[in-house]
Parts: sequence; C-alpha cells; structure tokens
Amino acid sequence: MTDYDPIQLEIYKHLFAAVAEEMGTVLRKASYSPNIKERRDYSCALFDTQGRMIAQAAHIPVHLGSMPLSVHAAVEHFSRQELLPGDAILLNDPYQGGTHLPDITLVTPVFLTEGDATPRLFGFSASRAHHADVGAWAPGSMPVAREIYQEGLIIPPVKLFREGDLNQDLFDLILANVRTPQERAGDLWAQVAANQRGSARLIELAQRYGAQAINSAMQQLLSYTERLTRHLLLSLPDGKYSFADCLDDDGVGQQAVPLCVSIIIVGDMASVDFSGSAPQQRGSVNAVYAITLSAVYYVFRSLLGLDVPNNAGCLAPIEVIAPAGSVVNALPPAPVAGGNVETSQRIVDVLLGALAQAYPEKIPAASQGTMNNVIIGGYDAQRQRPFTYYETIGGGTGAHHNGHGAPAVHSHMTNTLNTPVEALEFAYPLRVERQEVRRGSGGAGKWRGGDGMRRDIRLLVDCQVSLLSDRRKFAPYGLDGGSAATVGENVLIRQGEETILPGKTTLELLAGDVLSIRTPGGGGYGKME
Amino acid sequence: MSVSISPLRIGVDIGGTFTDFVIYDPGRGTLETFKLLSTPSQPAQAVLLGLNQIVDQYHGEVQEGRQLPAITLVHGSTVATNALLERKGARTALVTTRGFRDVLQIGRQNRPSLYDWFSDPLPPLVPEELRFEVDERVAHSGAVIQALQVDELEVLVARLQAEKTNSVAVCLLFSFLNPQHEQLIAKRLAAAGLPVSLSSEIIPEYREYERTSTTVINAYVSPVLGDYLSQLEHDLVEHATAIRLQVMQSNGGIIHPGEARRKGVHCILSGPAGGVIGCQYAACAALSAAQESNGDTAGSTLRLLTFDMGGTSTDVSLIDGQPQVTSEALVGGYPIRIPLLDIHTIGAGGGSIARLDAGGALRVGPHSAGADPGPACYGRGNLPTVTDANLALGRLDSQAFLGGKMPLDVERALEALATLGMDAIQAALGIVQVANAHMERALRVISVERGHDPRRFTLLSFGGAGGLHAADLARSLGMKQVLAPPLASTLSAFGMLAANVVKDTIQTVMLSAKTPLAEIEARLLPLEEQLRQEVLAEGIPAASVLVERFLDLRYQGQSYELTAPFSVQVLDDFHQLHSQIYGYSRPEEAVEIVNLRLRVTGLVTPPPLPSQPWQGSDPSAACLGQRLVHFAAGALPALFYQGELLLPGNQIAGPAVILRSDTTLLLAPQDQAQVDRFGNLWIQVGK
Repeated sequence: MTDYDPIQLEIYKHLFAAVAEEMGTVLRKASYSPNIKERRDYSCALFDTQGRMIAQAAHIPVHLGSMPLSVHAAVEHFSRQELLPGDAILLNDPYQGGTHLPDITLVTPVFLTEGDATPRLFGFSASRAHHADVGAWAPGSMPVAREIYQEGLIIPPVKLFREGDLNQDLFDLILANVRTPQERAGDLWAQVAANQRGSARLIELAQRYGAQAINSAMQQLLSYTERLTRHLLLSLPDGKYSFADCLDDDGVGQQAVPLCVSIIIVGDMASVDFSGSAPQQRGSVNAVYAITLSAVYYVFRSLLGLDVPNNAGCLAPIEVIAPAGSVVNALPPAPVAGGNVETSQRIVDVLLGALAQAYPEKIPAASQGTMNNVIIGGYDAQRQRPFTYYETIGGGTGAHHNGHGAPAVHSHMTNTLNTPVEALEFAYPLRVERQEVRRGSGGAGKWRGGDGMRRDIRLLVDCQVSLLSDRRKFAPYGLDGGSAATVGENVLIRQGEETILPGKTTLELLAGDVLSIRTPGGGGYGKME
Repeated sequence: MSVSISPLRIGVDIGGTFTDFVIYDPGRGTLETFKLLSTPSQPAQAVLLGLNQIVDQYHGEVQEGRQLPAITLVHGSTVATNALLERKGARTALVTTRGFRDVLQIGRQNRPSLYDWFSDPLPPLVPEELRFEVDERVAHSGAVIQALQVDELEVLVARLQAEKTNSVAVCLLFSFLNPQHEQLIAKRLAAAGLPVSLSSEIIPEYREYERTSTTVINAYVSPVLGDYLSQLEHDLVEHATAIRLQVMQSNGGIIHPGEARRKGVHCILSGPAGGVIGCQYAACAALSAAQESNGDTAGSTLRLLTFDMGGTSTDVSLIDGQPQVTSEALVGGYPIRIPLLDIHTIGAGGGSIARLDAGGALRVGPHSAGADPGPACYGRGNLPTVTDANLALGRLDSQAFLGGKMPLDVERALEALATLGMDAIQAALGIVQVANAHMERALRVISVERGHDPRRFTLLSFGGAGGLHAADLARSLGMKQVLAPPLASTLSAFGMLAANVVKDTIQTVMLSAKTPLAEIEARLLPLEEQLRQEVLAEGIPAASVLVERFLDLRYQGQSYELTAPFSVQVLDDFHQLHSQIYGYSRPEEAVEIVNLRLRVTGLVTPPPLPSQPWQGSDPSAACLGQRLVHFAAGALPALFYQGELLLPGNQIAGPAVILRSDTTLLLAPQDQAQVDRFGNLWIQVGK
C-alpha cells in the first residue's frame, strides 16, 4: 500500500473540489446562452501535469471520462515546449479529444513561477460547454448526417490565446461559421473566465502549501480513488457478466443497432469488453472512444457512492475494450452527434444489465435511455435575428429493489435543466402548450418505473427541426420480473391531426404546427404481487 | 398620575433547544438577556413563560404606583420553517394555466444527486389531485391570447371546496406581466372564503417553476403561521398591558403579524436572519469603538464573514456594508425566490462524527451524533466527534462545559479517538483540521466565489462551537482578525431588536437598457409608493423611511442577472460589476433590464449596547490557571481565562483558552487578543 496521510488526503480533496466547483459557478453565471445558464450543460475540471484528472465538479456525467482525453489531445498536438504561459487551447474535434461538435473544450495550461526561475508547467484547468450551434446543415448542429462534415465546424486543438493574446483571426473564423455568433462569443468568454479562475486558484494553492505538497496531494488523491474502486470490485462476486440491448436505428436506415458488453471481474480488477457491438453506422449514433469511457466511468463512479473525488483513479483498475470502427469507438469521418447524447445512454443500459446479474440489489431497472434532443431553428422576424433552440427532455427512471423510479427527470449521462417556459418564450418564436407527466408510461412491477414526460411546442414561424431520440422502438427493460416501460413518441400535430415522426429526423415545419415529444418511462422492478 | 414611558422592546428567538430573550428598556437604558428551554410542540408556551417572568419583574414596581410599560415583542420563529420541513402545512391546492399542472412535479427535470440511483424524488407540496388547470393564456408580451372564462370558476370553487382545501396558490404563465387573470381568480376564491396566494403578488418574476414553488410555499405555510400568531396574540391579551407583536423576516427586516399571515414565505429562516442582523449591529458598535480608541474618525466599511458553528451544522454569511441578499435559496430542496439574507449552511458542527473510509481518508461528517447520543465525551455515544477531538486536545475544560452544567468524560473521548487506528492526539488534530477544511470551503463559497477577497474581512464568530476554530480558520483564509462578541448565543434574539422594517419587491419588465430613465422611474414610482405606505403603516415616521432602487441587468442573451443601484450611471456600474465578478465586461454589447427591484426600509433605533470603562491591559484577575493544550507543533502550556471576568483593555497572548458560559475561544501561540469596552474580544491572528 502506498504512503499516504489520511488527514491531508481529506483536506486536499476539499481544496481541489472547491476549485472545480468555483470554475463551474463562474462559467454558469458569466455565460450567455440559455443552454449553459439555464440548462447547465457544461463541466469544469483540474488536471495534473500528465493530464490526469484530479477533480471535476459534479455537472454532466458524459463529460467525465472525456475531459481528460481533451487535455491529452491538447498536449499531444502541441508538444510541452510549445505550451507557454497565457496560452489557451480550443478544440471540439471528436477524433482529437472531443465528443461531438457542439461540445467545445478550452484547455488552459497552468504555469508556476518560483523565484527567478522560468515558469514551469504545473497542471491544467479545462472547461467544456455545449454550444447551441456550431454550424452544420441544420440549426443546432445535431442533424441527421452521413459524415461529420455535415455536423458543423470542426476545431482541432488550436491556440485561442497565445501568451495572453487572443487569436482574433481564429475567433472571427469560428464566429463566421456559426448561426448565433454573439451568443457563441459570450459563451467562449465565459469559458475563458472559468479557466482563468481555475488557474489562479491552483497557483494560489501552490503558493500556500508549496508546489511539492500540491503535486504529491494530487498523486495521493488519484491512488485514493483507485483504492476505493478496487475495494468496490473486491466486493463484487468474480465472474463474467454479459448483456445486449439495441438502439432503434441510426436515423438513416431502419435497422436496429445492437450493443453488447461482457464484464469480467477478477479480484480487485475488471475488464469491460464491448466486442460484438455493431460496426460504426452511416447515421450519427456513433460514439467515439471518449464517450464509451465516460459511460463506463459513470457506472463505476455511481457504484462508489457519494462524496468520492471525481478523478482518473476511478478507472485505473478497469480495462475498457472497444473495437476500433465499431459504434462504440468510431473512426473518421463517421458522424457522431448522437453518440454523445443517445448511444452513451444505451452503453449505460448494457453495463447496468450486465452488472445486475452480479449485484441485483445495487442496480436499478433501465431508465428512459435517451435524452430526447429537440432542436428548432429559423429566423425570428419579430426580433429580427436567427435563432437556435436546443433542449433535452427528461423521462422516467428505473425502479430499484426498494423503491419506485422517478418521473420526468434526466437520468444517467445527462442532468441538464429544462429551459423555463417563460424564458423560452421570451427568447424564441415558440409557445409551449403543454408540459406534463406522461402518466402510465413507467413499467409495472412491485416497484413502478418513473413516468415519462410530454412537452408540446407550437411553432410561431416556419422552422427547421431536428429530433435525435431513441427508445421509440425498443423499450427500457424491467428487472427481476418488472415490466418494460412504454416507448417514447415524437408526434407532429398539424391542424389538429397527429402524425408520428421518426425518432431521428430533420424536417421543415410550418408556423402553427405543434411538435409533441412524449418521452419513455423507466422499467419496473420485481413481480407485481 | 401615569407618565408616558417608552415601551419595552423584547426580542425573542425560538430555537430548537432554547428560546432566547433580549429585553431593552429605553426608559432605564438597560439591556438584559435570558434563556428558557423551548417547548417544541407549543412554541408559544416558552414565549409566554418568558413574558410572564418579565412582567413579574415589573410587577413589584407597578404596585408602587408605576405603570407597566407597553411592550413591543419582536419575534423570530421556526414555525413557518418547520411547517415546510416537516410537511405539516395547510392542505393546499394549486391553480395553473391549462397544460401546466405538473410544473411543480417536473421542476427543472434534474436530479439533485448525480450518482445516486436510489434517491426518492422530492414529493411536490401539492399532490396531483389538488392541482387544477384553467383555460387561459397570456403571451410573453403580456397580451391575452386566451381570455379566462369567469363562469368556469364556479366548477373550480366547487371542487376546491369538495376537496376541503384550506389554502390556494394561483400561478399562471406570464402573470408577472399581466396579473388580470390571477386577480379574477383571487376575487372569486376570496368570495368563497378561501385564502389565496397569487404568484403576481408574492413574486412577480419570470421562471414559472421557481415562481410556482415560492407561491405554493407561501400558501402552504401562511395558514400555519397565521394560526400560531393568532393564538399568541390571543394569549398576550391576557396580560394587563398593551403588547405589539412584530415578526422577523428572512430578509433581515420586520413586519407586522397581519402581513406575516399573508406572506408566510417571507418568514422562513427568520432566526438565522436575526443572527446576521445581530452580528452586523454588534460589529458596527465594536468597529466604532475600535476607531475611537485608535483616534481614527474616518468611517470604514463593515466587512464581516459571520461564522455560526453549532452542534450539527454551521451557518456562514457575508456582510459588505450590508448583509448580502440572495434570491436563489433552496429550503428543504424547494426553491424560494424572494430576497433572503444569503446564509450558507453546511452539515458540519461539533457533533460531526469522524471515521476512516475504505480509501483510508479521515472523514468528518456529514453524520452527526446530534444531542443524543451526542459526542462520546457526553457519556452515551462511542463515536469520535469534533467535540471529542477538542476535549482530547485540552482545548475544552471538562468541568466548565455549558457553565459547568455538563461535565465531560475525557477518557471516553480518548477511547473513541483511538478507534480510528492512530494516536489519539494525532487523530484529534486531524479531525479538527478536516472540520476546518469543511468550514473553510463554506467561507470560500460566500466570499471568493462571489468576488470578495476574505483578506479584507473580519471573521465574526458566534454560536457555541465556533470559538475553538475561528482563529485557525481566519489564518487559513489570510484574514487578520476575529471578533467574538459577548452576546454570542443570544445574538439572534438581539438581532430582532436591531432589525429595521424592510419591504422588498421585484417586477420583471424585460426592457432595453436604452429605455429613458424617466420611463423606468415612472414604473418604479407606483411600486415605491405602495411599499412606502406599508412601511408607514408599521408605525415608522416618514423621516425614517429609506428607499433603495435597483435594476437587475444582463447582456442581451444572457440569462442570469446582476443587481446594480438605479442611477444615471447604472450601466457603467453594471459593466464594472460584471468585470469584478466574472473577470470581463462587454460595454459594446446591448444590455437588458430584466427586473425592477425595490427595497423600502423603515429605520428602527436599535438599543445602545452596554459598555464599561477602560481598565488596564493586565488580565490576570480573570486567569484560572495554566494547562497543557495540544497544537500541531506539540503540547504547550496555555493560560485559561474566565471570559466574563475579562475587562475592557485586557490583553491576552496565545496560547490561551477563554471560557465563556456559552462558548470557548482558543488563541494559538502566535495570536493576540484584546477586550473592547463592549466586552468584545478582538483576536489579532498571527501567521
């Protein structure tokens, strides 16, 4: 066992977590778009010099495993010698440290100057925010697509700041390629502010406790979380646990997309193997490796319980195998917008399905298994500006061995807030006509799954609409004899007449149309008595 | 023969364990305090008991021909809070726009804990069968899209009556822009004898979930608070003197019971608010005394971090001239959007339990030993707590705890600490350090995270458990001094007497910042006039009314606002504030006025604090002896002092321990302290 001090461990845990949380507060409050401020679709984290995550504020699980890959990509692209004080690296390329194009990550190397010595690299602060539009052939940058080039502007790791100076040309180029440049600029500035805050706080810690002590605390915290994970794995019975489930389709074809996993637990180690999952698809349901890693991280992080630091130690005893070229580790130029928001949920579903065999009391039935992405864009004649509205909609969560699931809430890989109806109508030419619990959609059982939700939105101008949703064909499963939930439905109501829309589609709708999204419930648990 | 005498002013704070009384007699210029055990099932009982004691005291004099003075009773209570937290409010119904009865259930569709698959969802305060919809719709412009059919309300009233609801919240979309429909419903329900809370009156601000939640909480707690106040008023009539009742609000101001009955949500968290106001007042006096003695007449701004560490939780707040106000509070998980004093609470206190987790880290809390079994040293429990750690380190006097009423068991504390598998003293030092890390984080949240540098602030420590941690915390945060007032445990009740009458209102407008100032002013004036009348109705003379106007501003496209005072330079102030808090501003961008905000204050003359003449610097008359106290650097001999015997001017050098009847204060070797003429202890924190 490594050398550590139980007291220092706990104190530093608080210190680092407080920095990540403070970065999040700055980002949320200083940003522009409802998507960040109201929905809180962002994450902030700190890293050591080797790019290992030390602390992440609890914001969005899908960013968990993927933020470190952004830092790695930044460091790989610019060698350490090229990183200078005042630099900040921007990226969104899913094949170079990103997840899907709307998630833009800013990585700031933190330098420490001691005495007259030249500043030396001390760590990284990073923030990732979901930007409501990054170009693409439809507003919101999550359209049905065949190649990533149709999904928007690709930003490989580039320096947005060089030694403290904004790269204005780059900034202008980015803004010229998005539909709502003012909003993007504001959100990017907020990310800059958040990273600056994180860097300043990390430097303060080093000045207060000494760089050596902070460095060693970082390493101690990584081994601490690793010990906790090993302890957890030891408590699970050794064995091989397999499970398979499907995505409805890839949005281009009609074929189901199977996902398979085998989890092997031996002692205090585990291997998670996704071999047998479908090859990468023509449509956008492809997940890059970072997404798959995030889903695995999320599941084991949840099993660890509350109040454990979010750092790289969690995955250290776990090997993740995702065959290259598959839907869980796509290669360019496959489109990936849905991998982040939909496939990530199904990856969690298969992981939980497998682990339920090892540890039934610790695993809930399937939750809604989709984020129900809705993107509406067009030109707002009254406010004289183009607009892009992005929303994800909650549904039911799975019941568990000791309780019902929750209704109308986000589950697993996301936890974004809804846009208040009044905020939405102030901002966009849309009117919400109904927002209610979809009663009876949760799976039956001794414990009922949570109900889904219904949100009806009337368009007041002609709009282009993208829907990216799943669990419209294959229902969220129940466990231990509990029933599956009701699948979701996307419905167009035009002059009172209802038409079912596909789960994944991009289409032109008319002023006066009502888009009605009805989300899946969660699975039931246990036989009804 | 009766002479007119000023009424007695009595501040009462009903806490979980004690009900505190502070009595100010302006006629004699006296200030007294005492405590009684609380009577949780009938909170008014302790109040009446205390009042009887006070009246009895004056009774003898009454027989001598003097008149019993009239009484003003300022009252902070947990009645509204408990109704909410224990879900014992009125049977409340909710009326919403058609299609939105589930707003309360759905909330913001997020889960409170990211990694917890088993948490039960927060149950809405109004169950499904009591949520009703009406056909009507107002647009974001305020225009009526679908008119309310008044005759439909007959069915609604019949159903509300059939369901035996005794309070109704009404929250319609965009009612903050056009309250007509809500008012029509209120009129009909009032005619049917149903108490109504309208969202357009309680909190005319956009964001339907938060507005609905605030309005529902008001409807839920107001009848309970109202019943309690009526009972209390009824019982007070029995006394042979005129008693005027006032109620503390969560914004730090007081209101009369009639208004508290209608706006119960304003009285949630009134006790902690009293504490902050008490701190502000005590510190103001202390600061002016310090300036006098330094010959410094230039007034400097009061900058305090208040630190109230109790047995199970710790409250912290920030005062920068004025206590900071927030409208983003969550109580019991439910959002409340009215302005409240910004008090941040964490679940760490003297009773927090220490343990080693599976990864080998020393954890302190969130579980607490509470009052029963309490810390191991209380003699019943076996688990080590922060209090046990302090006792093991020699920082508490086992015979003088709670004024000697409760001897502490040192052996038992050491045994409990030994279960952590390390040396008991090392474990104790570690527990204190970890507890301090929790509290430092809380203090950072309210200061650095909100753009304030703690190094420019004084740490004000009150509450029973804080004095042992305050100087170390100040050191960690780079703060230079700690202030420990003598009224520490009754500061909340004292705050009731120092509180002004405060009325806040807000109105969402969504205007361009290019709107002429005159037009904004025209919108502010009627709101202001209404509040002014309300303040005058509390018996405040017109000359003591203070009006403050603010605008909530944001860059067009943002969705959180910053509050700046309304003036000709409000835009410049906004850019500067944005820069201060977020590190950048964009003066070239369009700015939006989201809300008008008004605060009208009726200034109340607070009681003067008792002071004593300056004595010498020698504290030896208060010295109890010398004992070993453990610090990180090792065990050191420290002098122990009886706090009540210390006199103005006395100086104490650390290491030292000062025992007061309600708290214990620790000075580390490098710390210095001096007592001022109000009995405040000023600790200069060493490096």
